[in-house]
Amino acid sequence: MDLVVNGEAYRHDGQATIADLLRECHAEAGRTAVMVNGDVLRKGSFETVRLSDGDHVELIVIAAGG
Amino acid sequence: MADGLKLGDRIFSSRLLLGTGKFSSTDAMIRAVRASGAELVTVALRRFHPGRPVDDVLAPLAAIEGLTLVPNTSGARDAGEAVRAAQLGRELCGSPFVKLEIHPNPHHLLPDPIETYEAAKILVGEGFLVLPYMPADPVLARRLEDLGCAAVMPLGAAIGSGQGLTTMSMLKLIIRDASVPVIVDAGLRSPSDAALTMEIGGDAVLVNSAIAAAENPELMASAFAAAVRAGRDAWKAGLMPQSDVAVATSPLTGFLAGGEAG
Repeated sequence: MDLVVNGEAYRHDGQATIADLLRECHAEAGRTAVMVNGDVLRKGSFETVRLSDGDHVELIVIAAGG
Repeated sequence: MADGLKLGDRIFSSRLLLGTGKFSSTDAMIRAVRASGAELVTVALRRFHPGRPVDDVLAPLAAIEGLTLVPNTSGARDAGEAVRAAQLGRELCGSPFVKLEIHPNPHHLLPDPIETYEAAKILVGEGFLVLPYMPADPVLARRLEDLGCAAVMPLGAAIGSGQGLTTMSMLKLIIRDASVPVIVDAGLRSPSDAALTMEIGGDAVLVNSAIAAAENPELMASAFAAAVRAGRDAWKAGLMPQSDVAVATSPLTGFLAGGEAG
């Protein structure tokens, strides 16, 4: 499955949920927000939402800012 | 709380809000936050990069008791992007607050009033407590208040410019007419800017660069906190009337000059 993660091409073999992708990227689920094709996901849905070929995924974390 | 800052259904005792950007280190930022006594601090969003260390500001901020995180929408160029950023921020911070900022031009970073209005309308509808960063425009302030924003945040000067309260006359008009808190955000340089904001009836200030870029951010945070308290007390106490001529504070009995006043 070919994804675009944070603007870059990303190859993922097999089926995957958001939680699978986060584990693969070593992103902490509790500290990461996820947007798929422009839709912001609720935290509780990471284990159930499945990715599809061509999905655009944004993984977002908190940073310092004013 | 006798003199709290009421934002939506929440009441805060501190009237100094702090931005967490531009500090030399997370440790310096945390020490400044503690010294400021701020209960509301802003944070930003950024992409997670696999393999790159996460600048972990969340854990040390979460360790400070009584702190509420206010995610901002910095980087958004229009209302749609700002709404998505707000939704992401809510997922990350678990806070109903959002500092709505849409400034598409990186040269001056001035807020886009039209996109800000459109985004505020959507976010209020979604239950956010919206704190919109906005031009110091009394008409826009009223429109944002009418939408249901929890406060209005007019700028004192351009972000990070340290030019102080260049919009003073407009700020006074906004403060006079507003029935939601007015939080002056951006451009402040010195604690006296913060004190003056409070003396004219501002409800709070949001400070970042003036503290982060100080030689001693922790001490400057403490100085701003004192200035905000002093300015607030001064406003509550009521400033004396001004006069174009001197008004004597001592009796002018003139006994030293044989009856002539002096």
